[in-house]
Amino acid sequence: MTQHVSEKDVRAIAEYARIGLTDEELPAMTEDLNAIIESLKPITEYDLEGVEPTFHPVGDLSNVMREDVEGTSFTQEEALSNAPKQQDGSFLIPSILGGGEA
Amino acid sequence: MDFACMGVDAIQVGLRAGDFSATEVAQSSLDRIERIDGAVNAFLEVTPELALAKAAEVDKAIAEGSFDQMGPLAGVPVAFKDNMNQIGTHTTCASRMLENYVSPYTATCVQKVIDAGGLPLGKLNMDEFAFGSTTETSAFGTTKNPWGLDRVPGGSSGGSAAAVAAGLATVTLGSDTGGSIRQPASFCGVVGVKPTYGAVSRYGVVAFGSSLDQVGPFARNVRDAALTLNALCGRDPLDCTSQACDFDFTANLDQGVEGMKVGIVPAFLDAEGLDREVRNAVMGAADKLASLGAEIVEIELPNAQAAISAYYVLAPCEAFSNLSRFDSVRYGYCDPGHKDLGGQYEASRAQGFGVEARRRIMLGSYLLSSGVYDKYYYPAQQIRTLITQDYLNAYQKVDVILSPIAPSVAWKFGAVSDPTSMYLADMFTISINIAGNGGMNLPVGLGEDSGMPVGVQLIAPPFKDANMLRAAAALEREYQCVGVAPDFAGEAAVKDGE
Amino acid sequence: MKTMEEVLKDWEAVIGLEVHCELTKLNTKMFCGCKLEFGAEPNTHTCPVCLGLPGALPVPNKAAIENIVLAGLATNCDIEKHTMFYRKGYMYPDMAKNFQTTQGPKAFCMRGWLDLNVDGKGASERPIMAQLEEGESAENVTRTAEGYTARVGITRIHMEEDAGKMIHMGGGEGRISGATHSLVDYNRAGTPLIELVTEPDLRTPEEARLFMQKLRQIFLALGISDCSMEEGSLRADGNISLRRRGTTQFGTKTELKNINSFKSLHDGLAYEICRQAEVLEEGGIIYQETRHWDPSAKRTIVMRVKETADDYRMFPDPDLAPYDLSDEFIEAVRAKLPELPDQKAARFTESFGLSGYDSRQLVENMATADFFEACMQDADAKLAKPLANLINNDIAALMNADQDFDLASSPLTPARAVALVDLVAKDAISSKQGKEVFAAILEEDKDPAAIVEERGMKQVSDTGAIEAVVDEVLAANPDKVEQYKGGKTGLIGFFVGQCMKAMKGQGNPKLINQMLSQKLEG
Repeated sequence: MTQHVSEKDVRAIAEYARIGLTDEELPAMTEDLNAIIESLKPITEYDLEGVEPTFHPVGDLSNVMREDVEGTSFTQEEALSNAPKQQDGSFLIPSILGGGEA
Repeated sequence: MDFACMGVDAIQVGLRAGDFSATEVAQSSLDRIERIDGAVNAFLEVTPELALAKAAEVDKAIAEGSFDQMGPLAGVPVAFKDNMNQIGTHTTCASRMLENYVSPYTATCVQKVIDAGGLPLGKLNMDEFAFGSTTETSAFGTTKNPWGLDRVPGGSSGGSAAAVAAGLATVTLGSDTGGSIRQPASFCGVVGVKPTYGAVSRYGVVAFGSSLDQVGPFARNVRDAALTLNALCGRDPLDCTSQACDFDFTANLDQGVEGMKVGIVPAFLDAEGLDREVRNAVMGAADKLASLGAEIVEIELPNAQAAISAYYVLAPCEAFSNLSRFDSVRYGYCDPGHKDLGGQYEASRAQGFGVEARRRIMLGSYLLSSGVYDKYYYPAQQIRTLITQDYLNAYQKVDVILSPIAPSVAWKFGAVSDPTSMYLADMFTISINIAGNGGMNLPVGLGEDSGMPVGVQLIAPPFKDANMLRAAAALEREYQCVGVAPDFAGEAAVKDGE
Repeated sequence: MKTMEEVLKDWEAVIGLEVHCELTKLNTKMFCGCKLEFGAEPNTHTCPVCLGLPGALPVPNKAAIENIVLAGLATNCDIEKHTMFYRKGYMYPDMAKNFQTTQGPKAFCMRGWLDLNVDGKGASERPIMAQLEEGESAENVTRTAEGYTARVGITRIHMEEDAGKMIHMGGGEGRISGATHSLVDYNRAGTPLIELVTEPDLRTPEEARLFMQKLRQIFLALGISDCSMEEGSLRADGNISLRRRGTTQFGTKTELKNINSFKSLHDGLAYEICRQAEVLEEGGIIYQETRHWDPSAKRTIVMRVKETADDYRMFPDPDLAPYDLSDEFIEAVRAKLPELPDQKAARFTESFGLSGYDSRQLVENMATADFFEACMQDADAKLAKPLANLINNDIAALMNADQDFDLASSPLTPARAVALVDLVAKDAISSKQGKEVFAAILEEDKDPAAIVEERGMKQVSDTGAIEAVVDEVLAANPDKVEQYKGGKTGLIGFFVGQCMKAMKGQGNPKLINQMLSQKLEG
């Protein structure tokens, strides 16, 4: 089977998708992804010259908009109701660049 | 009485006559879930307060003589797939990621069903984030098929199908991205409708593949499904892709199929891997339709073969993007103890998502990356154009298309494990999501080999969903669908429509 | 380091701008009905959509689309009818969905331009100017009497949404580096934002500054934003590279961020020009990096080196229907176009005979342009120039000194301004007295005539009265008269002063001077 992605590629994909992947999980994930990508081969073999893509399966629907009218907003409490961590009415996150406190 | 085993009309006749109250309907349904769902595991959360509060509202309307203004589902026990937000309930998508998430708002489809008078019993099990076709990827245990507890209920809306099949609710809602309503409906022997893309608002339904997802009902008969569609469909200002849908889905259910043109796709019936009993069921249904006066027309969908690979490009790409919001900041699982955000992101997403979700996110991330996008994503959208055109060409000749739904009846747990072969099982349902047409399952009896429910798929042109409901209603009269699965029907004191 | 003037002799700076402007005049956000408000309690203007809750869907604000089309029409863009929104993926905590909804290869507005008038000191920063005669063109510039005009291409203006705001804690001065944790507020998330990208047509920091100023004037005139660089509703990033004069290949560019004033934009770019020249002249390489302008240290600091091109996994947003703008929609927006600053300036020059420079200064600010216009409703045409001077000098100074000064509601009404310049023009008061009256109007909220009356400020221009005083003064100082006649002509000032003193400051200095000269020379 053609190798579409190497373990190194899969590692990079995981980093981009921000999904932690252990060294143990890496070979199986690489194998799975290669199998799936291989099954997508028909796509690459289709003659699609001059065919327009359909990004939105909505027929002729276009220009759907709303008027600039205020609706209901959450209270601060509602907004934060599912926050894993919060402080002073805001969502709390650890150091973005690293080196923060746990 | 086990009211949840009854159909909509029977419940409403009883309520109108004062034979029982909506509160009794709600309470008995809740009791039945308590009694039975341990075996089925259809429900992830039961909401007695919400059901009883709504029942009290219905009872008040009855007392005040305004019952008929309550809506088409007044007093009917309903339940929702757990990817549908309902304020104050957990909406987990059967994922650890959202185990503790409590919805601060309500999905339009849920609101419409409740506004139509439905008594909300709770939230239903599913494949994690709808990634799967057996409900086995649920982080909270799989749902069992009421027709055989050693078999899968199908998926991803397995809980929605099983709840109806086990008589735990009269109507449930599910969502369908590649077959997730039709296939479990077929496995559990109930009616399941995926309406045309845009007919039902997606607002508040946790997105999987935004250009493919569509909400629809499960019911034990075509009329109940049609009544639910009347409540569900229509333009929602909160969903840009929703469209007006101003027709009565029940209007032509009794019309019969005389003069209707029904398409069959020979290539589908000859497909490798299609079980004999399923093929026979479809052929039998075609014969019945013909005997009822429909004209059977052979049609071709030349690009349907490509649908499966197009789907496995489009769905993961959209899923990757839709699931990037689960980042442990505003909601969702947050792995404790991290000093840096990057570490918290990676650990939370690694542990919050199950393996199938991670696999699809990774696949989407790869397929959308620069250089790769042009090789897969763009051509997949071009193929969508071809498939859509195939269907439009077919609708020049026919009013409705008849096809299989799944290659087989519900299989036993553990019988299929290879992810790619599982993907192939979606081949009859996927092209309909790609093109955006409506499609539905109608149970047509039990397989001669397996004894398990077999269904056929009816497919309609965009926004002509009434066509397939009309044909389904005609077939339904021929088959006298069983309704509640036999092992659970003993509990049912009143059978639907009798 | 060399000065910028020195550097620009050998090097050509190639500058492009990316300008972000929040559409602050709208009521609600881009994709949801949450209110737009600066400075509210954190996370109180949020909903499922702008918090990126699972299941929420975006619905575009029609007025925002009208605003961006307006901006495109005002900057000579083609309006692209068929466009789509895209998802631009990057995981960052201020972006609730972890993708930004923005536009793809086709934006609502494409291929526009603006003409800049560069005059004054900045005009000499472009060496080509020395070689051109008035009316001659080269590169993208045309020589004018006062400097030159430069045509700056606008690549596109696209519609997108702003991110939330973060407060970084535990580090120094709220900086992200060294912070132990951060707080995220999504009130700003989803604010309608337009991004304008210029062609790399700018060559000097002065041109960049003028471009931003002009854009700001236009956006203010359109009424689409408050354009506050301080509050961040108008932001600019500068891309800058150098190349040897006479070469055409682009050098490696750096991106300059954290620019919160026109001065920062100018000074940051000027610093980068000098820094890059120094690196290049020492044989070093410029890295493609993002640099942060530190106004207090007056230098740029590297923020991030871009090793590879960012991969944003862009694809059309399936949740948003495509756009197919109709001619009717575009024409309805065009009908809302107000008179733009350039058109207004041209009209002022045409109707009131002002110089181009005076007119352009008047329209730099909507308030001053409106004020001038109100004045000219009742004023004689010959007062146009003194009124323009009053506005461009005295009033402008006042507005610069006090950001909160509101001309429209100040005691200085157009009628009073006209009366004031009229008094000076008629020689009823001296121009020095005019300044006093100007201050008194603002202070005491009274009409100029009343102030002049109260303070007895009338200027005496009666030649008879003046002659009497002049004779008196000359008679009282025969020795000084002798000295004057002996060649000490500087004593004229002494005589004027004595006359003014005798007339309690009310004599017309011009007439006194004339009369004195006449008598002393005669």
